[in-house]
Amino acid sequence: MTDDSLLSIRDLRAQFHTDEGVVRAVDGVSFDVGRGETVCLVGESGSGKTVTAESITRLLATPPGRIVGGEIRFDGTDVTSMAEDELRTIRGSRIAHVFQNPQGSLNPVYSVGAQIGEAIRAHRRVSRRHARARAIDLLESVGIPDPAARVDDYPHEFSTGQKQRVAIAMALACDPDLLIADEPTTALDVTVQADILDLLASLQAERGMSILLVTHDLGVVARLADRVVVLYAGTVLERADVVDLFERPAHPYTRALLECLPGVDGEVEPIGGTLPSPIDPPDGCRFAPRCPHAIEECHAGGRPPPSTVGDDHVASCLGYHREYRGAIDLERHPTAEETQRVSDRPDAGIDGGGPR
Amino acid sequence: MAWFVGRRLVWALFATFLVVTLTFALLAASPNPETSQAAWQAAQDGSDPEEARALVDQQHGAGDSLTTQYVSYMVSMFSLDWGQSTTYNEDVTSVIANAWVYSAITVIPATIIAVVVGFGIGLYSATHQYTTADYAATLVAFFGVSIPNFWFAIVLMLVFGELLGLTPISYDSEVPFWSLEHLSYLVLPITVLATAAVASEMRYARAEALEYVSATWTKTARAKGLSETAVTIRHVFRPATVPLVTILVADLVGIIFATAYVVEVIFGIPGLGYVSYQALVRMDTPLVLATTLIPVFVTIVANLCQDLAYTVLDPRIDYEGRSP
Amino acid sequence: MTASTDTTADRERAPTLEPIDWEVVASERDAHRARVTARSLVTAACFLGLLAAWAFDHVARASHEPFLTLATGVAFLGEDGVLTASPSHVDWLFGLTLLVGVRYALVPLWENPRLTRYYWRRIARNRLGVYSLYFLAGVFLVGLIGPLVLGDPEPQWDLGHTPPVGFGGTFAHPLGTTRNGEGILEIVVAGARVSMQVGLIATTISIGLATVVGTTAAFVGGRVDDLLMRGVDLLMTFPTLFFILFLVYIYGGNLFVLVLILAFTTWGGQARLIRSEALQRREEAYIDAARAAGGGPWYVIRRHVVPNVSNTVVTGATLLIPIVILFEAVVAFLGFGDPSVWSWGRIIADGRESLASAWWVSTIPGLVLFLTVLAFNFLGDALRDALDPRHEVNRGR
Ligand code: SF4
Repeated sequence: MTDDSLLSIRDLRAQFHTDEGVVRAVDGVSFDVGRGETVCLVGESGSGKTVTAESITRLLATPPGRIVGGEIRFDGTDVTSMAEDELRTIRGSRIAHVFQNPQGSLNPVYSVGAQIGEAIRAHRRVSRRHARARAIDLLESVGIPDPAARVDDYPHEFSTGQKQRVAIAMALACDPDLLIADEPTTALDVTVQADILDLLASLQAERGMSILLVTHDLGVVARLADRVVVLYAGTVLERADVVDLFERPAHPYTRALLECLPGVDGEVEPIGGTLPSPIDPPDGCRFAPRCPHAIEECHAGGRPPPSTVGDDHVASCLGYHREYRGAIDLERHPTAEETQRVSDRPDAGIDGGGPR
Repeated sequence: MAWFVGRRLVWALFATFLVVTLTFALLAASPNPETSQAAWQAAQDGSDPEEARALVDQQHGAGDSLTTQYVSYMVSMFSLDWGQSTTYNEDVTSVIANAWVYSAITVIPATIIAVVVGFGIGLYSATHQYTTADYAATLVAFFGVSIPNFWFAIVLMLVFGELLGLTPISYDSEVPFWSLEHLSYLVLPITVLATAAVASEMRYARAEALEYVSATWTKTARAKGLSETAVTIRHVFRPATVPLVTILVADLVGIIFATAYVVEVIFGIPGLGYVSYQALVRMDTPLVLATTLIPVFVTIVANLCQDLAYTVLDPRIDYEGRSP
Repeated sequence: MTASTDTTADRERAPTLEPIDWEVVASERDAHRARVTARSLVTAACFLGLLAAWAFDHVARASHEPFLTLATGVAFLGEDGVLTASPSHVDWLFGLTLLVGVRYALVPLWENPRLTRYYWRRIARNRLGVYSLYFLAGVFLVGLIGPLVLGDPEPQWDLGHTPPVGFGGTFAHPLGTTRNGEGILEIVVAGARVSMQVGLIATTISIGLATVVGTTAAFVGGRVDDLLMRGVDLLMTFPTLFFILFLVYIYGGNLFVLVLILAFTTWGGQARLIRSEALQRREEAYIDAARAAGGGPWYVIRRHVVPNVSNTVVTGATLLIPIVILFEAVVAFLGFGDPSVWSWGRIIADGRESLASAWWVSTIPGLVLFLTVLAFNFLGDALRDALDPRHEVNRGR
């Protein structure tokens, strides 16, 4: 996208230091989030989507994590070079977060009103009374019944779904421009999931904020996304408009994902196979070990550069590269043996911060 | 909630009753310490131990039935008629009344230091995990909990009293109570008392705080834009107080009482520990009993306070369940 | 995470889908049964042998020992006299404790070399823990063999205080002497035996009690659980040191009685811990399976619950030993201990009177006591990290 994007990430790299070695959790990720738009970051657990999301406001635990390169611009300013204090004025006020686990994201010893109030008073000089009144409004807007009575209740008095609503209310406390929601529905019951997604959609429509949604659930993507970024092993494999992605998936990985879907609804997980080692990633295309179309060139050299395959639609696959177009026939149906290679069940997933 | 507090109160009373009964049972079912002492002495002198034992028994009116003894024992215990101390030639109650102040002047400051310093370092350590300061604090805490308190007291005495001459060596109860000089007498005892307690509280505080350093709600708090200090205090320390309080009383009582006993004996501070020691040495059973029971009562009351604190600190408390 | 998967990997052998030769299985099972039977026989023989030796000693001595109950707690090579008999009850009990230790700690470790190596690798990550283990093994051996070699500390009245080597002393008494001319080295060695005996025996009894109470409470539940845990609550309202001193006052402080007192007053906390651990285990499937297979409650507790709380037990025991050693030292320091036993606490108290003129009498044994306690605490910490996967949470990320 262009300069008017709200958030623009270029070649982001983040690492973790572990006993086994340096894990390159995010290895050169670029994408944009436009104003008022919903972008979904999709990937299996370990694909680096959460690390990417948490790198934006540097919530990443450091140590062991570290952002080692790239540029993150928010509303035209570079946040990677910002001092901690400066960044804090953005956190919660202009960029807000909602996390996966609503059970854990509320502090059990404070009332929900106090926790929402805390978010307000971190950025606005208002009285406690004022903050409390605003907390009631917020609770109402996220659909908590009888908010005036519930504002002083403690988290354990709310159901899981309601806790997530409270967490959303807390995120909205200062009218953020960007809401980063990391698997906001994964820990919830299926029926509640739909409610929360509807809530996010309607809040976005009301407030015109942008949403960066991290998920492994293509059902969620289909429901909310305007545009989609497909992550794999810390790299972006495909970026597309949501309709394009579902109608005309370009990358073999995305196609495999969509083929695995029982209907439109489903999760990324069933594709199986093993993610490449994040410590010592293979040369060439990261998906090559599982790709039914892989040719020798896929296993060597650098990563395939992004190729434009349509309007605002890029895929990082040699099949779209000028030089290899003849060598790889992406439309060929993979043989049974090749398919097998893709869908072998993994014996060990690498849990780099996906659903826990 | 009233129901919960009531239940804890009833348990406290019941526990008191049981403890007093238990001491009676132990005393009744055992050879009287004085008699066994007499027998031991007789054996060492080469005279007949049985004779000595009978003699002592006679003097103590061991003829009454057990029930009569029990009833009169319980009645006198609960009416605070704790008998006469042969060591001090005074009522046991007045001996205690004179002694407790001397225990309080070391125990209370040490407790405050233990909680403030111990929790402070523990929290710092937890939020700066794997830093040099964290490793150093952990190592020092290991030394603190491992050093034998009586030996530590002696070494401090040797170094600061004998070699450097900075502090007085033994306590002098003639010193005016409210004076700087008095303080100089108390510095070493309080140091010994506080060392083990600080180390222990620090370890607990660190362990509990660590549980919350990586909690999602601390991440949420950071995402809200709170400062590190606010996150540490409100979202790490405050929730950690809940489990901390549940171990605080037992731990402090265990460490501070035991250390105070030894410290009072070593420095000659006439507190409850010292009195208890004198009573044990002089076979002064009424005073031994009193000085054994008073710490128990203090513990029971402290546990009750802990339960009450718990109701205030933890909104999730389940009033029906057993103590957490 | 890694901990649990690795452990199961270690336990589970052989890939699953191989054809099963039932005859081999049966013969292996028979061999295994034979091994188990042989082992139980050897164990029983050892225990019975010890018992017989004790009984013989007891009977043989009874005739010329008027105060048998009082005259205990003396080292093997004591001086002559009415009160010095060899070996004492404590020595016998120590033998029993060591036998228990060999049977329930060393034998299982020997029989599962893979598991042993696995745990050792995990413990070895903590270097302080490993050094502590070596140090403690040294103290243990010195305590076991040292008194036999050096003999009891003998007074040399004309000698009086002599300083250690390096401070004007001679190699006749490398660590100096007491006022009575007894060598500090001999006293420290004799004290090592006392501390090891007290620490190991009392802890074994204490942990045994705690395991029985804790697992029973967790497994039987209901009234029994309530009753037992209330009892523990009550026990724990007594500040331990006061309780110990009170019991010493009543029953006397000879080493044998003191060991029992220490064991009886320290098991409460561990019982609580084991109970909560066992409660978590109780919910797990294999317990149900064992029950469904018709195992009686005691069988299930012994065969399935106890082994699964053993990590908690091992760590708890390691951390209880230094506490017990310190309590014994305090009692001896206050002068209520066994006057016929060279405890570190006692010698530290002796040295107080001449602190300024003969600093070595108090400080050297105190330092050894300090290091021993410290080593046990380091080792306990290393064991907890190695054995308790839940503590892993704070390390991995
Ligand atoms: S680059 Fe090669 S291996 Fe990678 S997705 Fe394209 S065809 Fe498959």
